Amino acid sequence: MDEKFDAIIVGGGIAGLSAAMTLAKGNARFLLIERGEFCGAKNVSGGVLWGSDLAKLVPEYWLETGGIERFVNHRRLTFMDEQSAFSVDFKSEHFNEPPYSGVTVLRAVFDEWLAGKVQAAIDESEHPDESFLATDILVEEVLQENGKVVGIRAGEERFYADCVILAEGVNNLLTRQIGLEKEYVPVDHMGIGVKEVLKLDSKRLEDRFQLRGRSGLTNEFVGFCSEGVEGGGFLYTNSDSISLGLVLGLKDLKAKEKTPYDILNTFKEHPAVADMISGAETVEYSAHAVSTGNIKALPSELYADGVLIAGEAAHLLLNAGKAIQGMDYAMRSGILAAETVIEAKKANDYTSGMLKNYRSALENSYVLKDMRSFQDAVHLLHQPNMFGAVPNMICDFGRQFFTISGEETPKASKMMHAAIKRNASYWDLVKLGLKGARAL
Amino acid sequence: MSESTSKNRLSVADRLGMVNFRNQARTEAKPHIEVDTSICNSTCVHKCTTKVCPAKCYTLDEEGLVHFQYEDCIECGTCMYACDQGAVTWNYPHPEDGKGVNWTLG
Repeated sequence: MDEKFDAIIVGGGIAGLSAAMTLAKGNARFLLIERGEFCGAKNVSGGVLWGSDLAKLVPEYWLETGGIERFVNHRRLTFMDEQSAFSVDFKSEHFNEPPYSGVTVLRAVFDEWLAGKVQAAIDESEHPDESFLATDILVEEVLQENGKVVGIRAGEERFYADCVILAEGVNNLLTRQIGLEKEYVPVDHMGIGVKEVLKLDSKRLEDRFQLRGRSGLTNEFVGFCSEGVEGGGFLYTNSDSISLGLVLGLKDLKAKEKTPYDILNTFKEHPAVADMISGAETVEYSAHAVSTGNIKALPSELYADGVLIAGEAAHLLLNAGKAIQGMDYAMRSGILAAETVIEAKKANDYTSGMLKNYRSALENSYVLKDMRSFQDAVHLLHQPNMFGAVPNMICDFGRQFFTISGEETPKASKMMHAAIKRNASYWDLVKLGLKGARAL
Repeated sequence: MSESTSKNRLSVADRLGMVNFRNQARTEAKPHIEVDTSICNSTCVHKCTTKVCPAKCYTLDEEGLVHFQYEDCIECGTCMYACDQGAVTWNYPHPEDGKGVNWTLG
C-alpha cells in the first residue's frame, strides 16, 4: 500500500478506539490496527469505566441496549478480616440518571461495540473509504527515519503515516522499541489483576444486589481478601454476571511467595463474598498486568517526533482508594492524542515541538492533575498496615460495637481502644492518620 | 472452610478450561515467549515466575527445576515484569502462527 495516512493507531482498546473516534469525527484519514480477532478480543479490565467522556464519543449511549453492562449508582468499600466484613456504603439516585458517572463493562463486549460506533463515524466522515479498522494484524515494528517515526511494519507489510499513536496497552513493547520506555520495567509500580466472571441470571442478580433496571453496584475490598498482600478485591455487577477479582502488588506478591489464583480462592471463600456469589457459575478466568498508579511509572516522555503514547501504554492509571481509574484515563488520553494530531495536520507539523501539546493537554486535564495530586494517597495505599492491621482493627471494633451480649456495654471509645491494642499500635495509626490527612 | 464455600475453589486447570484460545488445533504454533530456563535453573534464587504466573505456565519439577510452556499463556504480561534475571523474552503471539487467547467477555 503506497498511501500515507494522517495517523496510524496501534491497538483497538479504549485508548485506540477513542483516538479513532475523535479522528473520524475530525475527518482525518487513519488506520487502526488491532492484533486480536476483533477489537476487545485481547482486552481485560476489572472493570468500571468512570467519568463522562463516553457520552462525548457516543452521545446518549445509555439509550442503547448494547455496549455497557450497568450504570453504577451504589458504591461500597468493605474492610474484612477472616470472618467479618465492615462496609462503607453509599447509594444515590443522583448517580442513577444521565449523564452517568460510572458504568460496568466487559471489555470483549464493550470494545467491539465501541469499534462498531467508530466504523459508523468513519462511514459518516468526509473520507469514508480512506480510514480503516484492521483486526488480526500484529504490528511488529515502529518504522523510523532520521529519528522520526514514519509508520509501522506488520510482517512484510509497511504502512506509513504522518503520526503514529501507540495505544498498545500495558505490555508496551513498541514504546520500549522506540526508547520512550526502558527495555526492562521492574515490578515496583506494577500489579497483577486476576478475575473471574460468574454468571447469574439478571432476575436473581437484581434481587440479590437490590438493583433496579440497569442500576449497578461496585464493591471494593481490603484486608483478608488479599491474604495480607498489598492490593485488594473487587466485585462489580454486570447485566447477568458478576466480575470478581483482585489487584495485587507484584513486588509484594513476589516477596511473600504467594500465588494469585490461590488468593482468589481465599477471597471467594470469605463468608461475605461466598454469600454474594452463591449459585453463580464461573464462566471465564482472566488476568492482566496493571500499573499501580505511581507517577514515576510513566514513560520518560509521552511523545516524540511523529509519535504519541496513550492509555496504559503510558501507564496512565490511578487508584487513590476511591476507585481504580484506568479506562477513563485511556479514553481521555486517546481523545487528547487525536486532537493533537488534528492540530498537527492543520499546521502540517508533526515534530515533537508540535506534538508536545499532547503532554500539555494531559497535564492540564484531570488525568495528570489527579495523578499528581493523589500520589500521597497512592503511597498511603501501599503501607503494609492497610492490608492487615487496619482492616482487622475495623472489624474487631465492628464486632464489639454490634454485639448485644447481656453484659454491660462498654462505651465505643473503649471498644476502639481495645481494637487498636489487639491489632495495631497507636503510634502506627497516628503515622497512618497523618499520611491520610495529607493524602485525601 | 464450610462446605458451602469450598465449592468456590477452582484449580488453575478448571479456570483455564474456560478460556478460549485461537489456533488451538495447531501443532506447529510458534511460542511467543522464550524463556532461558538455564538462567532460572542456575543463578536465579527466587524462581518467582513459578508463583506469580496466573496460568501456571512456569512449573517446578521434583528436582526443583523450572519448566516453561507457552500453550496456556493468557498474555497478561506478568512474567515480563516479574523476571528480573533477563530470562524472559516476551512477545505477542502472531495471529497466524501463534497461539493466543481470545476473550469472550474480557
